[in-house]
Amino acid sequence: MRIDKDSGTQIPDMDLGKSPSGFSILLRELIRDKVAFGSLLFLFLIIAGVFGTSIIMDQSEIIKVDLFALYEPPSATYWLGTDYGGRDIFGQLIIGTRNSLAIGFLVTLLTGIIGILVGLISGYYGGTVDNIFMRFVDFFMVLPILMIVIAFVTAVPGYSILSFSLIMTAFLWMGIARLIRSKALQEKELDYVKASKTLGTSDFKIMFFQVLPNLSSIIIVTMTLNLAGNIGIESGLSFLGFGFPESTPSLGTLISYARNPQTLELRWWIWLPASILIFVLMLSINNVGQALKRATDARQRRG
Amino acid sequence: MSLIEVENLKVHFPVRGGIFQTVKDHVRAVDGVSFSIEQGQTYGLVGESGSGKTTTGRAIIGLNDITSGKVLFEGKDLSTINKKEYIDVRKDIQMIFQDPFSSLNPKKRVADIVAEPLRNYENLSAKEERIRVQELMELVGLSPEAIYKYPHEFSGGQRQRIGIARAIALNPKLIIADEPVSALDVSVQAQVLNFMREIQKELNLTYLFISHDLGIIRHMCDHIGIMYKGRYVEHGTSEEIFTNPQHIYTKRLIAAIPDSNPRNREMHYENRKLVKAEYDKLEKDFFDEEGLPFSLKSISATHQVALPERG
Repeated sequence: MRIDKDSGTQIPDMDLGKSPSGFSILLRELIRDKVAFGSLLFLFLIIAGVFGTSIIMDQSEIIKVDLFALYEPPSATYWLGTDYGGRDIFGQLIIGTRNSLAIGFLVTLLTGIIGILVGLISGYYGGTVDNIFMRFVDFFMVLPILMIVIAFVTAVPGYSILSFSLIMTAFLWMGIARLIRSKALQEKELDYVKASKTLGTSDFKIMFFQVLPNLSSIIIVTMTLNLAGNIGIESGLSFLGFGFPESTPSLGTLISYARNPQTLELRWWIWLPASILIFVLMLSINNVGQALKRATDARQRRG
Repeated sequence: MSLIEVENLKVHFPVRGGIFQTVKDHVRAVDGVSFSIEQGQTYGLVGESGSGKTTTGRAIIGLNDITSGKVLFEGKDLSTINKKEYIDVRKDIQMIFQDPFSSLNPKKRVADIVAEPLRNYENLSAKEERIRVQELMELVGLSPEAIYKYPHEFSGGQRQRIGIARAIALNPKLIIADEPVSALDVSVQAQVLNFMREIQKELNLTYLFISHDLGIIRHMCDHIGIMYKGRYVEHGTSEEIFTNPQHIYTKRLIAAIPDSNPRNREMHYENRKLVKAEYDKLEKDFFDEEGLPFSLKSISATHQVALPERG
């Protein structure tokens, strides 16, 4: 406490920590929006449940073929029945969701880092730097992603979650780079960037500590929405047979069983749970993404 | 020696065109401007939109590249100085921006905004820094408790004061004020201007005051330069410009200052018509074929005018 000179009243010391930061605003908005909050809780439950149970589950046990239990409908032993190899669907669902989510998170994170770096640097400096970076982006844009991923899958037989994420990242960072670049181009024309320059702040600091926070809203929103998209891309590739082999279950491999008309018609327990799960996951992530989008714009906030 | 001397400053922007984006022409935003400012004085740069007054200010502080000419700050030429030395000089030249809404980062608290220059140049502990920021806030007439607020929680005038607090944080010698009040309410303008004069006395600041408002310039400045199309048309002390304008362009500008006394309205109107008639008659003599003013000629020790070549 200190004493005010003029009035003699006591002024409490201000708290030295952060004032309402962006994070608490996001949280408040999420709590205020019931649907988004429900989605977030649901996502947490799914993620915790999936990653929790997958620790105690044995992947090699689940993918073991059991010829005495082909196409078993759901029962007490097999909660969601078995597939054509007698493998437990419930176990595959857990492991598959874990794999799909892990890839989604990893790809989103990696594309985010590369995209932000490239976009920010080329947008902030503009001119020649921008030209060089954008020609790189253009080059990657014209590559046939599907073809290259398929070629990769055929060429490398034993690929893992990490290598699969890396190959996807290599072809998916351009979108966010372009977005960040266009925003950075706008932002750097504002006077606060010029003010920082005249105050002697280095370009690096201006980019990452002045401009980047002003792009946080757009980054959070695109990353969240990209997460849903990236899980979808993985599932899509697996569905087409170019994702993971059956020995590494994912949501896509489970859904791909539905390509068999008999399975599609008679054995719903094989593909329906995975389909519903991916639908609900996407919906929840998008709900949360929308709420975050609102939170970053003070005019649209509800809380 | 003057604090800052600008000699024949030129800032040209290339105009690109054609298939290969080759340089077709140049926009001569600033085309040969010279002036000098003494320590503790206020120099006013006046002109219409696009006359190059802001570009001049920005070239001095390094936001626009100088095409040719010299900017001597305490004897050092800013256009040829190396990066390391420039960092030191930059500390002594600061800028107040026109728009108080975009010149403060909306994601930063006032404490961080005002402390930005301190963090770049002075190694203060967190506590020292906070005390210094609060001192600065008090100096600009804002509550020291307000440092934990965000810029959007302040009014335009208060925001401009925050901008000023940031500019004076390093005790600079020269402040370039680029239309510091034109984005503000008229009632707040006087308040900010008077406050700028107060801190000028208090901290012995030198101002380069850029404005299009002659009333404000008259109120603030010791010397005035009037720009037109990147060149000077007239230069002199405030007294000389306002009581004895020589160039027809200056005369028209001064005639355009509104008079608040309604009894003089008729007279003022007649005077404006006279000045306009003179301007129309003499326009060909006072500007060359491209419509640019001629080079300056001294008519007294402090007063220079771009008079026609032939007498």
